[in-house]
Amino acid sequence: MAMENFKIAATERSPEVNFDFDGCRLSLRGESYPEDASTVFGPLFSALERFLATIGEREFVVEFDLTYFNSSSAKALMNMLKLLDHAARDGARISVSWLFAPDDDTMKEFGEDFSEDLEHVAFNLVAVEPAA
Amino acid sequence: MAVFSLFDAEEKALEQARALRRSLADAPEAVRDGLDTLIGAYDSSVREQRRLVKVSDRLQGQLASLNQELGKRKAEAEEALANLRAAQDSLIQSEKLASLGALVGGVAHEINTPVGVALSCASHLADATDAMRKLFEADDIGIDDFERYMATARDTSALIVGNCERAAALIRSFKQVAVDRTSSERRSFELGSYIRETLASLGPHIRQAGHRVTVDCPDGIVMDSYPGALSQVLSNFVMNSLVHGFDPGTGGAIVITVDRPTSGQVRMIYSDNGKGIAPGNRSRIFDPFFTTRRGAGGSGLGLHIVYNLVTGPLEGGVAVDSPPGGGASFTVTLPQAVSQ
Repeated sequence: MAMENFKIAATERSPEVNFDFDGCRLSLRGESYPEDASTVFGPLFSALERFLATIGEREFVVEFDLTYFNSSSAKALMNMLKLLDHAARDGARISVSWLFAPDDDTMKEFGEDFSEDLEHVAFNLVAVEPAA
Repeated sequence: MAVFSLFDAEEKALEQARALRRSLADAPEAVRDGLDTLIGAYDSSVREQRRLVKVSDRLQGQLASLNQELGKRKAEAEEALANLRAAQDSLIQSEKLASLGALVGGVAHEINTPVGVALSCASHLADATDAMRKLFEADDIGIDDFERYMATARDTSALIVGNCERAAALIRSFKQVAVDRTSSERRSFELGSYIRETLASLGPHIRQAGHRVTVDCPDGIVMDSYPGALSQVLSNFVMNSLVHGFDPGTGGAIVITVDRPTSGQVRMIYSDNGKGIAPGNRSRIFDPFFTTRRGAGGSGLGLHIVYNLVTGPLEGGVAVDSPPGGGASFTVTLPQAVSQ
């Protein structure tokens, strides 16, 4: 059964989520400080778990393009990365890109900090000029 | 679907540790006690993490709300500033109109005198003619009557012609000033005569108070610029001297000196021998709404308009000075021909 693509539009306090199952891509863009982290990350986790079970030999590309997040989002992101790392340990081909604006040292340091706990996914820090 | 928990992994680890502890019921006491201590410490550490996440989430949420509020306030402040600027512009416009009103008032006053003289001469001549007609109809004109009438007719008609010519000349010079002032058109004009024409339209204001004006300007300086703006600048300087410089009842002196410091440049120094400008006010004198006469008719826009006109359409500069000998002095430097 083909899964439907999973998309959440950005709100003032939550990022845009774009999960393209057929294209094997997931991206999170924007800011994340929702009132309740489970409303944003709960459905995303379920979708991610279902998807990882079907990934097979395909390469899965995950992109984080966040400008701000709060503590529970940070925890949720780490949980996501661990889930991906476990899948990679079990043989999945997964590459993670962590995007940050060149002048945003905080976001760059968060990326470095997260990557220290990952062993199996390919993790790339990418400096990107924000779109005008 | 399982309930989403941020601390799912920690809860599972804790559950496994507790199961392990249960399976070790027969282990030595030191092992059981040690494991109990570890599980207790991990449990309280996870609860501590939850608390910290909750606290910092709340702080971050407040920060975001404050940022939004700040953005809103900033937008409001910017809008208020834009409204203020618009109000300032419209005040400047009405101040310009008011000074045009003063100019028209001056013109009316100036023309009133020759027209009034001409009118009373004409009326006197009509009366004399009427009296002559009655004598003629009664066939009773004597030589004396005729000679007196001829003298009256000669004198009054000369006065009528002279005063009408004076009125016509005044109207001609005012017309150009008024047209320039309202049209803001660029044209060529001779600087010296233009300064004198403008001063003539301000004549009543100056003369009534007993002030003297001296213009020292070389002949033949032809400007290619905006005469209306220049006339407005000069009027505002004069009104500034009259309102701020000279005490009521004391006759002051105004001197306008023009020279050409370099080719293509004209320097006009306007000075009066009034009270001068306090050193503390000199840096603010061109600011909008700066006035020492708030509530006494000062709008604080006269010299601001001067500054705008000189640095704007006239493409020049203006500086203020209070010379040691007293009085105020303004130096206006202008290109003889403006670029646009």
